[in-house]
Parts: sequence; structure tokens; C-alpha cells
Amino acid sequence: MDGKEVVINITHLSKVFIRDRRRIIALDDFGLEVREGEFVCLLGPSGCGKTTVLRIVAGLEAKSGGSAKVEGKEVRDAGPDRGMVFQEFALFPWRTVRKNIEFGLEVKHVPETDRADVSKKLIEFVGLKGFEDAHPRELSGGMKQRVAIARALANDPKVLLMDEPFGSLDAQTRNLMQKELLRIWSARRKTVLFVTHSVEEAVYLADRIVVMTARPGKVREIIDVPLSRPRDRTSREFITIRSKVLGELEEEFEKARAGELSPE
Amino acid sequence: MRSLTKSLSKVFISNWLRLTLSAVSLTVFLTLWWLFSAYLRADWPFQGVTPSPSTADYIPYWWDVLRAVGRSFVTRPQNTGGLLMSEHILASLKRISIAFVLALLSAVPLGLLMGRSRNAEALGRPLVELFRPIPPLAWVPIFLVIFKFFWGPIAIVFLGIFFPILLNVILGARSVDPVLIDAARTLGARRGTIFGKVVFPFTTPYLMTGITVGLGIGWMCIVAAEMLGAVGGGVGYYIFAANNTSQYELMYAGMVVIGMLSVLTTGIAGLIERWLYRWMGKK
Repeated sequence: MDGKEVVINITHLSKVFIRDRRRIIALDDFGLEVREGEFVCLLGPSGCGKTTVLRIVAGLEAKSGGSAKVEGKEVRDAGPDRGMVFQEFALFPWRTVRKNIEFGLEVKHVPETDRADVSKKLIEFVGLKGFEDAHPRELSGGMKQRVAIARALANDPKVLLMDEPFGSLDAQTRNLMQKELLRIWSARRKTVLFVTHSVEEAVYLADRIVVMTARPGKVREIIDVPLSRPRDRTSREFITIRSKVLGELEEEFEKARAGELSPE
Repeated sequence: MRSLTKSLSKVFISNWLRLTLSAVSLTVFLTLWWLFSAYLRADWPFQGVTPSPSTADYIPYWWDVLRAVGRSFVTRPQNTGGLLMSEHILASLKRISIAFVLALLSAVPLGLLMGRSRNAEALGRPLVELFRPIPPLAWVPIFLVIFKFFWGPIAIVFLGIFFPILLNVILGARSVDPVLIDAARTLGARRGTIFGKVVFPFTTPYLMTGITVGLGIGWMCIVAAEMLGAVGGGVGYYIFAANNTSQYELMYAGMVVIGMLSVLTTGIAGLIERWLYRWMGKK
């Protein structure tokens, strides 16, 4: 991994927002470096600000302090160099699979024939052949998320930001999609920043797992996952790492719950 | 196979059931109408009662009304402008169409803007709230003076159509799922593109609701709009003139025609809506 260029560089990142006239510190001095081609999972109790980190890197939310750079440039606005996949799929319901995937290219005024070329390849690549002209409502959750991933890939972004993309899928589909994502990731060599609250998902997918603290969110620990892929969820090494991550996380869960219960 | 035929016959039966129910409600209405007319005239089955001829003038038998509808397409009665019903219909359709196009062109951009921008909303809201509750009919005298006889009636119908479209488009633009806008932004879309490719398509079903409601109100307005004078006739004018000359069968005939025209335009709007939904994949 060393020697590879740092693609995402986050330093001293903070985010403060006001809710019901109270200042809430969502992120405090969060720092992280993600190198080219790396798969990094952000893991933490709910409300720890892991999604906020992702949205700041995506340019969908403004930071309060610190710095978030992608390829050396400070993030100011959303842009097609950072593809994003949402838990809610966020497909345009009035567009067909093909037209959803071509959205970013349409915005860039890519000629129609070139658009069709790209979408055709992507549809095959993510395994949606035969569903080109289907509308999102006709698709299952897993298929919807395949479309969303293909749509993000159509812009050929350097970075793929994923916000609990498999959180609303059933366990079977979820496992399948994790496998599929690794296939896509290794074929396209994207840099992936992936938010999840599932320990198993993180251990299955990530090169490194960033365990975040309860609010205010910062890095508690970064755990390497030195297992080769495909990973066996039942192997001893897998379970060892999983228990380690779980141990770290459980303390934070306790803190988060204590925070919720205390009157402040 | 067995269950398929079973479910098919189920669909078939329930369709027939609904048709029958609709027919029943229509029959009940026509029967009551007939009984009331007969009662006023002391016709069968009310031979014993005292007739009230002055009221009976206002309530003709419904088959006489239907006959009058038919007749109005082929004869030119003097007191209703000397025009055929088809010419009145054309005149009214022209007014509704002009008013509808103008309302669409103004209400859609305004609604999108007010639904998406807080400042535009702050600018527009007071005026909308001030003018929306005023019945379009209240403007009749003023509009005829300001806009004269060609544009006056159109302006009244315009008001009837404008507000339902505006309010529905505002509602639609406001309810765009924020995650769709986020997605569009991460795909490289800027404000203008987001308006055209996300906000507008999302708003279309709301727009169609506004159009359906607006057209209904537009037809309600047309009688009043054409009452005080309408160049080249109009169904509303026809109703008004027939009433003034005590030709009540003709008056009802005009009312029936307006009802049918309204059903027709809402039907067309419904077809466009269904087509749009299929096109946008919402079924």
C-alpha cells in the first residue's frame, strides 16, 4: 500500500450544527488518509458522524473547520470525480435503468451514442442485462443498488463514497452484494470510503477499518484487516479480527447509550 | 389454469358489478327527477294532487331536456344568439384553451420557483394568499371593464385554472426527495440542470392534479364569465340567455353540455396523466 498516492486527506475536520438552539458537535478533530485503490470502512455507533464525514468529502455538506482534500484539492462542492451511493438507492423513479446510469453523462453533454456505449458495458458489468428498459419500481433492492453503483461508475470517478449502501437489503442479498462490490472494486481499482454499522460487513470488505468514537466523532482506532480475499466469514482469523473490532465498538456503543440517557 | 380462469372471471364480475352500480345511481337520480316533475304537474302517478304550474315551468321532464340538447345542435333559436350549440361549444372551448395555456405558462415556472426558493416563496406567498380565496366570479364586473369582452371572460377562467396549478406545483416542488437532489449533485448536475432533470419530472404528477382540478374550476367559471356578454356566444352565455327568456329546457340543455364538456376535458387530462406516468415509470 505504501508508495501509493494519498487520494483522500482529512485533517482536523470538525462539524458543528445547531439543533433546537443547542450546539451539537458532530465531528471533532477527525483525521484520515486514504490511499489510491484502498477500501476503507468507517464504523461507529449511530450518530457518531460517520455519514457526516462522507457527506463532507462528497461536497454535500459544509465543514465547520479543518480540511478535507481529494487528490490534493480542498472539497468545496459536489462533483462527478466523487461518486456516491446512498442507502436509499436514490434512483430517479421516472428514468429507466439505462437512463439512470446515463444521467451523469447527460449532464456532461456526452453524445448519445457514446452514452449508450458506456451504459451498455456498465449494465453488463453489474449484471443487469435484460433490465435496460425497466423502471426502478420493477427492481428488487439488490438490483436497485446495482443500478446506483453503475450510475456512480458511469462518470468514472476516482473515489467511490458509499453510505450504508446495503443497509436496507436482506441478509442474503447483502452478502451477495458485498461479493459483487469487491468484484467491481478489484476490476475498476477505485478508492472506496464505505460507511457501515455492521462489524461483519466491515471485516469482510475493508483493507482498513476506522472505528469512530461516540459523538463527538473522532478516530478511536484504525484496524488493519490483513486477510486475503475472498474472505471466509467463518475462518478463525476472520473471527479474531471481528471480535477485536466488536470489542472496540461495544465500548463506544455503551458511551453513546449513556449519552442518550443522561439529561445533559 | 383453474385458478387463472377463476381470477379472470372474478375481475370480469367485479367490473360488471361496478358498471351496474354506476347505472343504478344514475337511474335513481333520473327517477327522482321524473317523480318530482310529475308531482308538480299532477301527472301519473300523482293524479290526485294540486298541480303547481309556476314551479313546474322550472323543472321540465328530463327526456325533454335530452331532446332539447339534441335540438340545440340543429336549430338556431333567436334568443340565444342565433347560434348552434356546436358554435357555442367552440367559443367556450376557445376561451378555456387560451386561459389554460396562459395559466400553465405562468403557474408552472412560478410554482417551481416558489417551491424551491425561500426568497421567491416570501415574495409570492402574500399575494397568493391575498388573491387565492377571492372567487374568480367576484372579478366579473371589473374584468369586463378592464379587459373588455374578449379578454375579460378569459381572464376570469384563467384565475380559476391558475391557482390550483400553482399550489400543486409549489407542493410538488417542495416535496422533491432531497436524496435525489444529492444524487444529482454528486453526478455533476448544477442548479439549472437539477431543476430541469430532477425537480420538474418529480413535480409532474402534482402538476397533473393541478390541471385536473383547475380545468374543473375553469368550467365552473365559464358560465359567469360569459354571462355579462361574450363575443361569439359560448355555452355559459347560452345558459344565461335561455334562463333570461324562460326557456328552461334549453337552460338545462346548456348545463348538460357543460357537464359533458368538463367530463371530456378531465378525461383527456387523465389520459395525458396516465401516459406521462407510464413514460416516467410510475404506472
